[in-house]
Amino acid sequence: MLPRSSDVIEVTRLTRSFSSRKGFLFQEKVATDALRGVDLTVHSGELFGLLGPNGAGKTTLTKILSTLLLPTSGTARVLGHDVSREGSAIRPLIGLVLGGERGLYNRVSGRENLRYFADLYGLPSRDVAPRIREVLDLVGLTEAADRRVEEYSRGMKQKLHLARGLLHRPPLLFLDEPTIGLDPRSARELRKLVRTLSSEGVTIFLTTHYMFEAEELCHRIGILARGQMVACDTPSGLQQLVGGEGTVEIESREFEDSELSRLRSLPGVSRLLQEPLGTHLRVTLRVRPGDWEPSSLSGALAAHPDLFVRERRTTLEDAYLDLVEQETAS
Amino acid sequence: MTSPPHPGLRGIRASLRLSLLSFVADPQWLIPSSIAPVIFALASFEMFRGSGPTLVLYAVLGASTMSMWGQTLYGSGWATGQDRFLGTLEPTLVAPTPYIYVVAGRVIWNVVTGLVGGVLVLGVVLWAYGQPLPLTNGLVFLALFLVLMGSLAAVGLLFTALFVYTRFSGFIQNVGEFSFYIISGAMFPVILLPFWVSPFSLAFPATWAVDALRYVGIPGYQGLPFGLMGDLLGTLGTSLAYLAVALGVFRWVEHHLLEAGTASDY
Ligand SMILES: Nc1ncnc2c1ncn2[C@@H]1O[C@H](COP(=O)(O)OP(=O)(O)O)[C@@H](O)[C@H]1O
Ligand SMILES: [Mg+2]
Repeated sequence: MLPRSSDVIEVTRLTRSFSSRKGFLFQEKVATDALRGVDLTVHSGELFGLLGPNGAGKTTLTKILSTLLLPTSGTARVLGHDVSREGSAIRPLIGLVLGGERGLYNRVSGRENLRYFADLYGLPSRDVAPRIREVLDLVGLTEAADRRVEEYSRGMKQKLHLARGLLHRPPLLFLDEPTIGLDPRSARELRKLVRTLSSEGVTIFLTTHYMFEAEELCHRIGILARGQMVACDTPSGLQQLVGGEGTVEIESREFEDSELSRLRSLPGVSRLLQEPLGTHLRVTLRVRPGDWEPSSLSGALAAHPDLFVRERRTTLEDAYLDLVEQETAS
Repeated sequence: MTSPPHPGLRGIRASLRLSLLSFVADPQWLIPSSIAPVIFALASFEMFRGSGPTLVLYAVLGASTMSMWGQTLYGSGWATGQDRFLGTLEPTLVAPTPYIYVVAGRVIWNVVTGLVGGVLVLGVVLWAYGQPLPLTNGLVFLALFLVLMGSLAAVGLLFTALFVYTRFSGFIQNVGEFSFYIISGAMFPVILLPFWVSPFSLAFPATWAVDALRYVGIPGYQGLPFGLMGDLLGTLGTSLAYLAVALGVFRWVEHHLLEAGTASDY
């Protein structure tokens, strides 16, 4: 099949494994399969969210697409170029924001950091100073621009990372967990900025482990779990996955195994999840409204003291947890 | 309107500028790399001082070379280690300018700052022994000195590739530093070294460049048997060879980093 010209990212059966050493004296080689056959397409102008728990492979995929890591097998094309063989054609066209506390020259000012990278990105010399002012203004760092980066807060560093990613006006921007570690206000500001960029036509590939963030921002969401794409759809499409199912939460100090298996076999129950909740345990049931009979609970949990039961709407967050849990369990 | 500079030159300039700014912010690397050369220089000066006033030049030249080389090896290696430590290696690799130009800027910066050691020795020698510098061909000497600096940069570039490759390069650094002091003839005339050393000496561009400088600066100097032109050709040939190898090594090292995924290790 010929790729559509509007496909900015095309990934086919992509795998990546790492071999690392474990132990000190008696070293043992350990192989980790960070990506296990990922297929993915991102269209031009899209704001795509890659959602997954820690260790799912989000950073690995981001680095492969941004030419910082070579795939073990499979192919990935970015803006029409193969990531393994045509990295130098891709680099001028993308912005990468890995974020975090690291990745900046701490001893010099934010402006000098930008100036350095403006040179490495080959910005026309006349454009350097005005463009730096522009991106500093865009991310809200104008005031702090001439202070050393070591004096910056976490949020300011994150803004500087983003400013650097935008310097050369790339049509495609990679953001790896851009709001992690930020206070709620800075995170909100950053999300607002991402939306603005997207509305200006920049294609954005963003990773996150918050469903609400992906849902709020992204046109399409891919859910990655243990190196595999377990779902990929629009937020409303993902909502369909849980369909019209309802959710019942039951909390107590403990549950007997026999109680759990009785709950699982109640009519209308499609899924049962357990999670610890401080000193308590929460059992979550996904139920089909037609078949589900709330009164059947009392039969299954007869004589159980101190129960807290709540019925609620099934959210996208639930859909995400279902998918990730499924994958972990198999 | 000026034509845009070559991307590589632009990278070198950016890297020089960042080195300067980082240095101004925290000038910690000049003194350690200058101590060893100063001590060596004064010791050799003591050893040879009976041989005449030209030995002042001999000592100062040797010390400058050693200091520039030490600074190149440590300073550039350290800065590249910093790129790993700070996490700036990845954003730099992902930028379109090849990393070799960034390293080249650092190497040049360190060769230049390594001159401080030479100036220090000059000062100490002049102060302690009160001997004037018997410099005859000032301009030629200066030009040759720039050639020497260029040749050191070429070797420094190759050595620094090792720091890009791995974060464990201290051993190579030590070996590189001290073997250079001895086999380059920066400290002792190559003639005094065992005969089997000379092929190694001649593989170092700085051996040739220092010999050329002594030709010009020290009347009646007996060095390598190839004459001044021979020395110049030797410097140029070996420097270009180092540059060519460095280009290849950098390409290979970058590929290795992307394959192994070790650019984020620190
Ligand atoms: N350089 C590396 N060496 C060894 N293992 C790695 C390396 N990078 C990532 N991994 C492993 O690959 C898996 C995916 O990691 P990562 O892509 O960072 O996940 P995420 O960004 O989703 O948290 C993890 O198990 C991680 O330990
Ligand atoms: Mg990650």
